[in-house]
Amino acid sequence: MVNQAAANVALRKDELERIARRLGREPSVVELHAFDAQWSEHCSYKSSRHHLKKLPTSGPDVILGPAEDSGILYLGEHDGERYGVVIAHESHNHPSQVVPFEGAATGIGGIVRDVLCMGAEVVAVADPLRFGRIEDPDSHQRSVAVGAVDGISAYGNAIGVPNLAGDVYFDESFDDNCLVNVVALGIVKESEIIHSYAPRTADGWDIVLVGKATDASGFGGASFSSLTLDAEDEEANKGAVQVPDPFLKNVLMRASYRAFEYLRRHGIEAGFKDLGAGGVMGCSAEIVSSGGFGADINLDEVNVAIDGMPPEVIAVGETQERLLWVLPPHVTPEILRIYNDEFTLPQIAYNARASIVGRVTKEKKYVLRHRGQIVMDVDIEFLTGSIRDELPFTELRTHELRDESIVYPELSTHEIVELLPRVLAHRAVCSREPLYRRYDAVVRGLTVIPRGAGEAGVFAAVRGGRLGVALAVAGNPRYGIHDPQRAAELAVIEAACKVYATGARPIGLTDCLNFGNPRKVEQYSEFVGAIDGLGRAARELGLAFVSGNVSLYNESTTGVAVAASPIVACVGAIDDLAATVTPGFKRAGNAIFIVGNVSPGLGGTVFAELLGNDDDNIPMVEYSQLRADLDLLGTAMREGIVRSCTPVGAGGTLAAIARAAFAARDAGRSLGVELDGDVSFDETPGFVVEVEDEKRFLKLAGDATVRRVGTISKAAHFVVKDESMHVEDLYEVWFAPLAEVYR
Amino acid sequence: MSAKIAVPIFPGTNSEEETVALLRDCGGDAELVHWSQAETLGRYDAYVLSGGFAYEDRIRAGAIAAHDRIMDFVIEGAQNGKLVFGVCNGAQIVLEAGLVPGTGAVRRPTAAFTRNAPEPHFVCRHVHLKLAVDPARSAITAALPKEALVPAWAANGEGRLAATPEHLQEIVDGGHLAFVYANAEGVASQNASPNGSALNCGGLVNREGNVLAIMPHPERDAWNFNHLDRREGKDVLAPSGGALLFKSFVTAVKS
Repeated sequence: MVNQAAANVALRKDELERIARRLGREPSVVELHAFDAQWSEHCSYKSSRHHLKKLPTSGPDVILGPAEDSGILYLGEHDGERYGVVIAHESHNHPSQVVPFEGAATGIGGIVRDVLCMGAEVVAVADPLRFGRIEDPDSHQRSVAVGAVDGISAYGNAIGVPNLAGDVYFDESFDDNCLVNVVALGIVKESEIIHSYAPRTADGWDIVLVGKATDASGFGGASFSSLTLDAEDEEANKGAVQVPDPFLKNVLMRASYRAFEYLRRHGIEAGFKDLGAGGVMGCSAEIVSSGGFGADINLDEVNVAIDGMPPEVIAVGETQERLLWVLPPHVTPEILRIYNDEFTLPQIAYNARASIVGRVTKEKKYVLRHRGQIVMDVDIEFLTGSIRDELPFTELRTHELRDESIVYPELSTHEIVELLPRVLAHRAVCSREPLYRRYDAVVRGLTVIPRGAGEAGVFAAVRGGRLGVALAVAGNPRYGIHDPQRAAELAVIEAACKVYATGARPIGLTDCLNFGNPRKVEQYSEFVGAIDGLGRAARELGLAFVSGNVSLYNESTTGVAVAASPIVACVGAIDDLAATVTPGFKRAGNAIFIVGNVSPGLGGTVFAELLGNDDDNIPMVEYSQLRADLDLLGTAMREGIVRSCTPVGAGGTLAAIARAAFAARDAGRSLGVELDGDVSFDETPGFVVEVEDEKRFLKLAGDATVRRVGTISKAAHFVVKDESMHVEDLYEVWFAPLAEVYR
Repeated sequence: MSAKIAVPIFPGTNSEEETVALLRDCGGDAELVHWSQAETLGRYDAYVLSGGFAYEDRIRAGAIAAHDRIMDFVIEGAQNGKLVFGVCNGAQIVLEAGLVPGTGAVRRPTAAFTRNAPEPHFVCRHVHLKLAVDPARSAITAALPKEALVPAWAANGEGRLAATPEHLQEIVDGGHLAFVYANAEGVASQNASPNGSALNCGGLVNREGNVLAIMPHPERDAWNFNHLDRREGKDVLAPSGGALLFKSFVTAVKS
């Protein structure tokens, strides 16, 4: 039986031997599955943790770095209270590839719980997506691209959390492995944070499981996500995907808010943690062991959906919508009452409830009981302690900024005008509205800049207060293909620039590192190099990573790995919502400036692709120059002379100017541009800035790189020197491509 | 004098907080009433049913919630002349309860808000509601100017009014078509509709004028910070825009 079970887990032979040696016996079936989950890459970060240590994780804005389910950043003060932004960032790549709707929906479900369990109110989500080629309407890639979006939409909308940021790219390297990253934000008073560890005095406390009845879904999920996908195992893989229930989650969230209220009113400390990878076992073992305790759990007390499930399924199955409390016994009855009676969990979903399943023990052992038998009995530190895989990698060839890029032809005005519609219709540039229109961007009534209106979303952090939060994501796989390290730097820079463009001050970052197989030197080296890139850019910008996730094995059985995809989210703070810079051109007569340098690199740009002349010299910034440019922007915004600010991204400065005109159109302002300066499709990070008082702006410029390229016009024409187009015609070209896919 | 407004929460409701906040900012005495407290609902003078996915939109949005205990009190209140205002899922529930257009029996709806078209899924889009009846037709709209334009967000998957031709004619003839979709300039047309609604309907009122149901959410475009480019006055926290309709409702509740 054990030998058979051993064949069904992903543990390697050396790992199995290590477990047997430590236990002094063969592990039980339950133990095998427990170690399988706990020692998977997904839970243990065994091949990534030592590299991740190189990232900056502390700073003046950090309340809680990457130690628990979410990180927390200091936002500001309101009404004499210090407020924090809780942020978590994860991937649900493998499940979304296999069962797109459910896989992506449970991605949102999981990330929301990570934020909730810090005692926070969940206030926003974001979804960086990477899909394969979607041209063929009958392809699996197409159904993944549509199904994943529908799953995110169905879940996020129902729980009433607005989707405020995200991006999407399409590339052939994602044909067999889509990337569905999810980010969630919460707001919490610093004094009211709940931790995901058993408090110091928790010896003998109750372990209370809350939520959906445990079923057989999501069994083996942790180790499934730590293997490469094999098309032949598709049916088995489907069983490893969890089933979403956003309706139950809606109620569970509100019931938990009520529980928070009760605990705060009575000044009671407790531990609260999300059930994710490793199920009841993984969550309970981690919450007690990080408090320095052990646990004794009776699986018969776990509310189940089907009778007679084997103990290993109850222990490590990853059924959704569950959370776990560590509570002092005298408050347990009231918390059970809130969930079971006031919020009527058992009537919301079959056998959903809160119940006591075990207790915290002083002895550092992890014990599971089932039908009067002890089915697991191990040293808890051995189970949850850090394990490490030293895998070989080579230093990446880092590209220094080079001048000798491919010779890129000086385009005539006519050639630019000919190329512009093709750039705007490119899948990396075209409108994302048909996709994000399926997401509720305005529930809660606190949205300031909704999803898609600009490059970052902005919302009011506290009802009745002036504090605001900006959120943006970035990570262009077109750069990742060429140069993982610089692509990682650019992801940080681009996410931060999107936040700056709203008038917010970036306060912190998260990352999700989506890469191929770490057991292949060239793929693992990309991962290691990208971490160097993330760290460098974050240090140069004075930002820390407070949360993150690693998703490896994004490689198909044919050996194709995804484009190196370090995906970054950036959070910004706004002290007074009135200072927010809204998207889109505002007024005819205002000047258009480009702030930012032009780098020689054109590798990975849409322009290079359309010219059929791509290379690996991707765009890059000089950090000292970027800081000077950001200083200018900040000062000019504070003085109120910046009327709009659009960050440069895929498609370059011309596409950014067009987007600013489109955003004005969407807001009901019909405006055009007259460009007389040099404009191009260069994608070096920078900004298109609309300025009301040019003289003042130039006076402030100092060391910043500033070029005036034109003026906003009353007529809705897009004029480049002596060539003219209609903004409306360009808009249609830009809007159409994804409208055909997301109908 | 202090008329109390209840905002009941069904399992699955998700817009309760902003609804109560806006009612209060418009001067109303509003509070949340959780489904486990449904028995207290009789004490309130008016009801606002907010957005969400009550009972998971099973069968059809609002269909199950219309039979909830909460609705026993809301229906009774409506029959006794209390004001009832449903927004989005609240509108679907009010319609499924037969309170609007109110041309059939209680809980025997004569129309439905159903799956959007031509995009048959959830659509989140900024819209304008245009008052299509005389303001005095309903106590709830009485404080609005003629042909008032209310900015709002459509955010639903089932917002398209559908009914038989006969029942649609009843809606027109009975003056039940309270709001239609219009562009920012106030020109009403199907182009301005997010969902292909019959009669370009964005809102319905009952015969007596004390029950109003609208599909889009004015409360999501209701403070200056929601629309900084269209703000009215300096204070970013001041209610404006979509608050217009909520102010009119609160005025009616208080009078």
